[in-house]
Amino acid sequence: MSSLVVLIRKELHATFTSPIAYTVAAVFLLVLGYTFSLTLFATKVANLNYIFHQIYVLSILLVPVLTMRTFAEERRTDTLELLLTAPVREISIVLAKFLATLTLVLGIFAATAVYAVVLGVYGEPDWGPIYSGYLAVALHASLLVSIGLLMSSLSENQVVAAALSLGTFLMLWFADSVAYLLPRPFDLFAINLSLIGHFKPTVTGLVFLSDVGYFLTVTMLALFLTTRRLAER
Amino acid sequence: MIDHDDALAIRAEGVSKRYWSVTAVDRLDLAVRRGEVFCLLGPNGSGKTTFLRMLTGYLSPSAGRLLVAGHDVVRDGLAAKRKIGYVPESVPLYAHMRVGEFLRFIARLRKMPADGIEAAVRRAAELLALTDVLGKPVRALSRGYRQRTALAQALVHDPEILILDEPTNGLDPRQIMETRTLIRSLAGRRTVLMSSHILSEVEKTADRAGLLLGGKLLGVRSIPETPDLESWFLSVT
Repeated sequence: MSSLVVLIRKELHATFTSPIAYTVAAVFLLVLGYTFSLTLFATKVANLNYIFHQIYVLSILLVPVLTMRTFAEERRTDTLELLLTAPVREISIVLAKFLATLTLVLGIFAATAVYAVVLGVYGEPDWGPIYSGYLAVALHASLLVSIGLLMSSLSENQVVAAALSLGTFLMLWFADSVAYLLPRPFDLFAINLSLIGHFKPTVTGLVFLSDVGYFLTVTMLALFLTTRRLAER
Repeated sequence: MIDHDDALAIRAEGVSKRYWSVTAVDRLDLAVRRGEVFCLLGPNGSGKTTFLRMLTGYLSPSAGRLLVAGHDVVRDGLAAKRKIGYVPESVPLYAHMRVGEFLRFIARLRKMPADGIEAAVRRAAELLALTDVLGKPVRALSRGYRQRTALAQALVHDPEILILDEPTNGLDPRQIMETRTLIRSLAGRRTVLMSSHILSEVEKTADRAGLLLGGKLLGVRSIPETPDLESWFLSVT
């Protein structure tokens, strides 16, 4: 069994034995279920656009709660020393934590597929934006989880890690707001850094390679920086 | 370039560790023979833990070379780590796991073949008298059992070299004696490098001791040939 598989199993076990995971999942699904029912009865429109936007906001608020313990807890309890003195590469430790947390987040998102089923049974939804919407929230989740891991690797205090993650997410969300104050080409950079700017087109059915590339690039950059952070000892 | 000597389990040459302006370990040279119990003796803050952490690959040396079982810990870190069993001073364990589950996790992480894991866990549990608590959650263990579990995880993959940072810290007298007996029983078959700041502990456990102060190795003595370790300690410091 490869080290990565061993570590993923350990992380999944830790994730799914933690009350935090179930609390976050419950809050997430309760709020989404409420919004779905209310909006469906009020508008009678068979789409999930508003659900995807709500997932966008809720993820920004709740992913820090899931990622804050990943490295901060291991540092606090010194178990990171056990991992880093075992014959495994730092990238395996980072990827295991990333994949386990992403599995949880995507699992919560997957539970919302029941809304799509309801729309399919009782209406005639346009499936294109629903598929691209799920692609958008999955890419969004991978970006948030990777940045959350990076922030957790910077501190042994979980609350500090969560606050750093939330602050970074909000800065990325509103990055384009500052664009009008900046000269070229910095204004374009700020606009292209914006999280919502890349999320919106994908969630409405317009899948651009540049938007997908943005999410994947930031995710990989954050995972790389987390690995470097672990390797610097 | 260090030539590897088969009789040596650990060899350090000019090893230093600096944090900004603070030098935690200063140009340390050390050779630990295969099969011996070697103790790094020194007060708190003398650089013992930093040196042990460099040996285990947890910290990188700022200068110098470190060989563990012939493998350079910087250039060939994974191979060096495979030869080591390590118990940090803080005795870190995963509290959410059961003892048996924790030992199996470590055995897999240490790349033991799948068909040998159960036997290895059983062997380590018997050696450390943990058989009765294999099904218990780690968080429910007493301090003594936690220490034994930490020792078991360091031994489960049958390493050539055992590195123990203050292994008797926080234990009661009976547990200290048991740990000492265990360490002595490993001598010959495995190399044990441990740290301690307690002279009597070193006298009763080690074959040789090195005195570390301010990050410098001030001397190495054979314990049987040093009847009055305290006098030596006072004369050197």
